[in-house]
Amino acid sequence: MARKRGRGMAGGWYGIARTAAVDRAGTWVEIDDGGTVKVVTGVTEIGEGILTVLAQIAAEEIGVRPEDVVLGDNDTARSPEAAHAGATRQTYMLGNSVAMACREAKGRFVQAVAEMWSVDPDSIATGNGYVWAVDTNFRQSMAQAVEQIKKRGVVVVGSANFTAHHTGLDPVDGSGRPWQAYVFGCQVAEVEVDTVTGEVQVLGVWAAHDVGRAVNPRGVEGQIEGGIVQALGQGLMEDYKLAQGHTTTPGFAKYILPTSLDVPHVTSIIVEDRDPIGPLGVKGIGEPAMVPTIPAVMNAIYDAIGVRITSLPASPERILEALAKQRNPTISEIRSHS
Amino acid sequence: MAELKIETTVNGRRIARRVDPSQRVLDFLRDDLHLTGTKEGCGAGECGTCSVFVDGVLVKSCLLPVAKVAGKTIDTIEGLAVSGEMSAVQKAFHKAGASQCGYCIPGMVMAATAALRLNPDADREEIKERLGGNICRCTGYQKIFDAVEMARDFLNGKLSATAFDELDAEDGKYIGVNVRRIDAPSKVTGALRYAGDMVLPNMLHVQVLRSPHPHARIVSIDVTDAEGLPGVEGIVTSVDVPGQDGFGVFVSDQPVMARDKVRYVGEPVVAIAAESLAQARRAIAKVRVEYEMLPAVFDPDEAMKEGAPIVHDYAPDNIVKHIPIRKGDIEAGFAQADLIVEQTYETQQVEHAYLETEAGLAYVDHDGVVTVHSPSQNITHHRHMLARILNLPINKVRMIMSPVGGGFGGKEDMIYQGMLALLTMKTRRPVRLVFTREESIATTAKRHPSRTSYKMGLTKDGRILASQVRIVYDGGAYGMSTEGVIRKGAILGGGPYNIPNIQIDTYGVYTNNTPSGAFRSFGSLQSQFATESHLDICAERLGIDPFELRLTNAMRKGDATHTKQPLKSSAMSDVLEAARTASRWEHGAPNIRGATRSDLAGEGTRPSCTLSPRAVAETPAPKLQHEKGAA
Repeated sequence: MARKRGRGMAGGWYGIARTAAVDRAGTWVEIDDGGTVKVVTGVTEIGEGILTVLAQIAAEEIGVRPEDVVLGDNDTARSPEAAHAGATRQTYMLGNSVAMACREAKGRFVQAVAEMWSVDPDSIATGNGYVWAVDTNFRQSMAQAVEQIKKRGVVVVGSANFTAHHTGLDPVDGSGRPWQAYVFGCQVAEVEVDTVTGEVQVLGVWAAHDVGRAVNPRGVEGQIEGGIVQALGQGLMEDYKLAQGHTTTPGFAKYILPTSLDVPHVTSIIVEDRDPIGPLGVKGIGEPAMVPTIPAVMNAIYDAIGVRITSLPASPERILEALAKQRNPTISEIRSHS
Repeated sequence: MAELKIETTVNGRRIARRVDPSQRVLDFLRDDLHLTGTKEGCGAGECGTCSVFVDGVLVKSCLLPVAKVAGKTIDTIEGLAVSGEMSAVQKAFHKAGASQCGYCIPGMVMAATAALRLNPDADREEIKERLGGNICRCTGYQKIFDAVEMARDFLNGKLSATAFDELDAEDGKYIGVNVRRIDAPSKVTGALRYAGDMVLPNMLHVQVLRSPHPHARIVSIDVTDAEGLPGVEGIVTSVDVPGQDGFGVFVSDQPVMARDKVRYVGEPVVAIAAESLAQARRAIAKVRVEYEMLPAVFDPDEAMKEGAPIVHDYAPDNIVKHIPIRKGDIEAGFAQADLIVEQTYETQQVEHAYLETEAGLAYVDHDGVVTVHSPSQNITHHRHMLARILNLPINKVRMIMSPVGGGFGGKEDMIYQGMLALLTMKTRRPVRLVFTREESIATTAKRHPSRTSYKMGLTKDGRILASQVRIVYDGGAYGMSTEGVIRKGAILGGGPYNIPNIQIDTYGVYTNNTPSGAFRSFGSLQSQFATESHLDICAERLGIDPFELRLTNAMRKGDATHTKQPLKSSAMSDVLEAARTASRWEHGAPNIRGATRSDLAGEGTRPSCTLSPRAVAETPAPKLQHEKGAA
């Protein structure tokens, strides 16, 4: 049989938000006319779905629907600092910051409504665009309530800053607290290797990742699926080549990317070990999703054909070269002493 | 310039225009008709972002000269939503979460629409084949396949229209719910404008002259001939920088444009703004730069040796940074070990390959604020650096993050915003730069290539006693994010395992290669690839199941990390158990047992891909069914 199958697994871990440096993110919130909510923070979408995540968080915290949330973002002259879109920090840093700012605004809103209705603020509840006082017949849409408390002279605003207290590393022994939240992951890959052509197909990946708390599970799956395929590209085909500093792979005809025909079926398992520090318990998934894929695939290739690829990518040429070495037992790839 | 008059029907509207015959259909749609939903991803027919229908047939509009569509009918992404209502395919993409950055999505929606018109009953494998000419870098394609299947089932009457609706959240609890992406409608309809889609009145077009040498002294730059060309409005070089010229995340070692010498092929040297892109290109060709070659170094291990060419004078050893981590006593650990395994690992340079190339639009506003729209992943830091470079108060610099068509770390470093700011300050007109795909690949940062030496000592029953890891990362010509990358690589390099004795050293090294920068998983992808491969070798030697080996060593709550930080929580054992259960893993040591495994080819795997009977049967091309299709 030219086609041989095998399985491999690998683990991994990751730190959330900026490394070995204090991280921070600021947010402004206004509970606005029409019962809408304006949320302003400094970073925007890079495709991961952060705008939707923030709308969900604001909606639940204030008591409106996600479509009632208006996000202002992405402008150093119009929004507070929220630093950068990277380091798997957006859901953690911005999500917690938005939740805290919404809580402050909601506290003021509840106070103003309680005064208007002459009820205990603790009896006030909100949800899906309505506000009511428990065990009374006071109930209004958020739109009506905002209109009335504005007539009483109140514009409801809130703001917050979420800080992650990371420390630098000791320059001698590296000791330090680079992150306050860590996530863990594990993936299993199943591959089929064609020993004639050297081609490796990844047929299935099972990916279990701790994300703290999934705000939008489908979005988390999207990050896991995308991360796995990006890693698979590096593992099997992508190779930016230089000759004396000049690239020989300047386009997608030479720099090969995974297409729809190259990708495995991905089964995502979302594990929720809530962050004990931040108010929401969320962590992140963007970068850690990629970490276990390549070694899981390389371990699966070994399981299938007994060659260990230690130099990426495991291109058909490398696989065939390794199979040729395998047939010549005088070449040993791995040294060990016991 | 020669002109050609053509008549076409675009999205149902008859259009008669005089066009430049050198234009592609893509340019005609985007520049003349302002239909910017059709994107340029590669300009070479390789990525599919520019897909449109010509007389109902899916084509890549970057490959088609505009004259070819005379008398024909063109449909673009903007034409799919009839009277503003999204098509079934668009609704399904929205519902399924099939868009992430969104840049490939207009082309993907066109390809998906074509697929279902050609075969309304296409199964998942056929859908994959029919989308094979469209690259997506974000989603991993799975949600796209889900969306096409959902649209297919709706069009075949197997799914009701309510399947596309938003779910109701109980009691206002929206955290933990699959709310549809709020930005998806703008992406699936092509309405979202990325930086390269934006235009301003009076806008100039920018082109950049780049270094053809990996390491050379700039003797002279002569722009006299370029200056005199028609349409040229502004030329800048490093002498035009008014403030402190240097950017970088940890060390400000990179000038906006090469200063005194070039350190890699593709480094910007001169930037020119002109009335048209063609005029800017012609002007670039007229610039004369005299170089004096310098010896170059391309291998980081060579660069660390005494006497190697020096890339930056401030770092005569070519070392950007060294990060050490020490815990316990590795020699004592190795002395007690029953098994010691040593192995080296290598990873390559990798391109981010976001479908949206780098692009930016800059202008000076009415209050004198230098404003830059670009898909920057770090507007806060870019504003800091740009204010210093331009010698302006920080509130006179405004960075606006345009929608990012894929980033993955590649848009974290500020690589072209400085040139745009200088040109708009010099010309007092809006300026726009859009990288070609070749420019993007050849001149922007890559994932750090790495070489790792790994030594691990374990007991017979699989406890790790000591690990020694040394990694050299090639940082290329400039520092960019290298220090952070090698720090993360070091901190996480030992893996999520309790190891009493550990020594990790990571080095970031300057060479004359394309610079390395931030890239998703940031240095730890390289180090953890080594760790997790190494553990598999150890598990085989010890005859231990790889899950068991990891469970034996997994960090648990309260355990100290390699940087001696007690963990407040750890889900390592949980994720191991979850993956083992979900994959129905057959217990056993990783000893080349693929041939005898009983857990293969089950649920969670796709069929092996072969050239399908469909692909063979369809030569020549199939008869189109789209006229009667409802997609």
